Amino acid sequence: MPQTVSRRFVLTVAAAAAAATMPAVTMPARAAEPAAELISSTATEVIEAMKRTPPGPERAAVMERVLETKFDLPGMGQFALGQYWSRITPQQQAQFLKAAESAEARAYSDRFGQYAGQSLQVGRVTTRGGKYYVESTINQSGGGQPIKLEWEVKNTPNGLRISDIKVEGVSMIQTRRADFTSYVQSHGGDVNALTNELQARATAAAAAR
Amino acid sequence: MHFKPQPPCAKVSVNGGNHAASCGSAPLRRPLKDAGLALMTAGVPKSLMARARRSGLALALTGMVLAGCASSDTGATEPWDPAETPNRFIFAINRTVDMIAVRPAAVIYRDWVPEGAQKSVRNALDNLGEPVTAVNEVFQGDPGRAATTMARFFVNSTIGLAGLFDVAAMWGMKRTKEDAGITIGMWAAKNVEPENGGFYMVLPLIGPSNIRDATGLMIDYAVDPFNILPIAFNWSWWYTTPRFALNVIDYRSRTLFALDDLEKNSVDYYAALKSAYTQHRAELIRQKREKVDTKAELERRDNLALVR
Repeated sequence: MPQTVSRRFVLTVAAAAAAATMPAVTMPARAAEPAAELISSTATEVIEAMKRTPPGPERAAVMERVLETKFDLPGMGQFALGQYWSRITPQQQAQFLKAAESAEARAYSDRFGQYAGQSLQVGRVTTRGGKYYVESTINQSGGGQPIKLEWEVKNTPNGLRISDIKVEGVSMIQTRRADFTSYVQSHGGDVNALTNELQARATAAAAAR
Repeated sequence: MHFKPQPPCAKVSVNGGNHAASCGSAPLRRPLKDAGLALMTAGVPKSLMARARRSGLALALTGMVLAGCASSDTGATEPWDPAETPNRFIFAINRTVDMIAVRPAAVIYRDWVPEGAQKSVRNALDNLGEPVTAVNEVFQGDPGRAATTMARFFVNSTIGLAGLFDVAAMWGMKRTKEDAGITIGMWAAKNVEPENGGFYMVLPLIGPSNIRDATGLMIDYAVDPFNILPIAFNWSWWYTTPRFALNVIDYRSRTLFALDDLEKNSVDYYAALKSAYTQHRAELIRQKREKVDTKAELERRDNLALVR
């Protein structure tokens, strides 16, 4: 069992100092599962990036690298496009993946704002249908409600990769799929419209800074 | 219940142009209207044809009601949304009201009202909701938990100063929140996925819902003693209006982060919210079902042990 420090204690002993010295990612001692390790190394990388850089292009670049090295982007992109994936050329698929990746990286870099002592605790790992499901909890140092995350990890030709994140039962790629397919459908089945929209948003966000 | 698998979308969409995404009634009905098929079955008696047509339609309808709209390639279910156009219209109105009034109020509430006060307001509102939770827990087959909820209600209403302080939680009685939508979803037939709550609807002011949850909302409203008492004793605006307004502001302030994020990072906010809402509700129901299944399994094993 991971060692837990009571919130009140942390608050009394100057929150900032405590947050800086506390390990940001805690894991069950015996959980040597590679899937759990993948999650904790990803979380460490993200938390380090949050500590080092403010929200912005620099952090987004780090997030993009994390997405490329830890996530199964082609698989997720294919799922998110649903029936439209197989109707477009490989070149269009690549363009869509790139646009979706930078949109996602930007979303993640803006989502957390400044690092405020959050920590991720990796929990139980279960296996279902050849995929690993890793439970974890984000503890907020300010005393906010802990957030429950479930990571889906699967074997790909590039090794173990994260293929989905569920927050309170809401799957990221399932929501993206509903979002993307609905957009494409309302644009007469034109995936390029979606790719262009995602790219346009990225440029607009970059220009706003 | 068994029915024939729906024909793959691609097969029927040959003459249907861009209709590939909708695999509800249309693909099942269309083959019957097909001229080629009519020629082939010209020799079949008319009554049989009518029956086939009717059963085809019935099959399509039951298929739609029970399965929602199954998407073609991975088996993942999309919420069934036959009223999408009116839904989007109400959604747009809700968003406007939210933008002008509700969201700004929620932001002010979150940023300006001291956190302790916010917590007390939330505790008091939650406390008023406990009887409804208890009723649902009884109907979910968990009277023990319902008793705890009622104990919480009495402790917090008295020692907790009309619910402003959650004393019961400090005594180890954790808060639960149940609604009739969850109760209905829990007892729905096994083959009805929790994702399938009948068709999706956007309610004015309230937002995302579906047939199951909207029905649940009405039931909860009808059994809530804090809705019945005001009518019975003629408490008027000084009770009903503040409770409703505070509920809206409190709820909105707690969903600010998640909804802002979803809106900002989606290309079709309506579709994204529909999906997220459906998944979230399904998760709550799935947890309940799993709990009941585990309990039943343990009881079954106990009984087996007794027989042996």
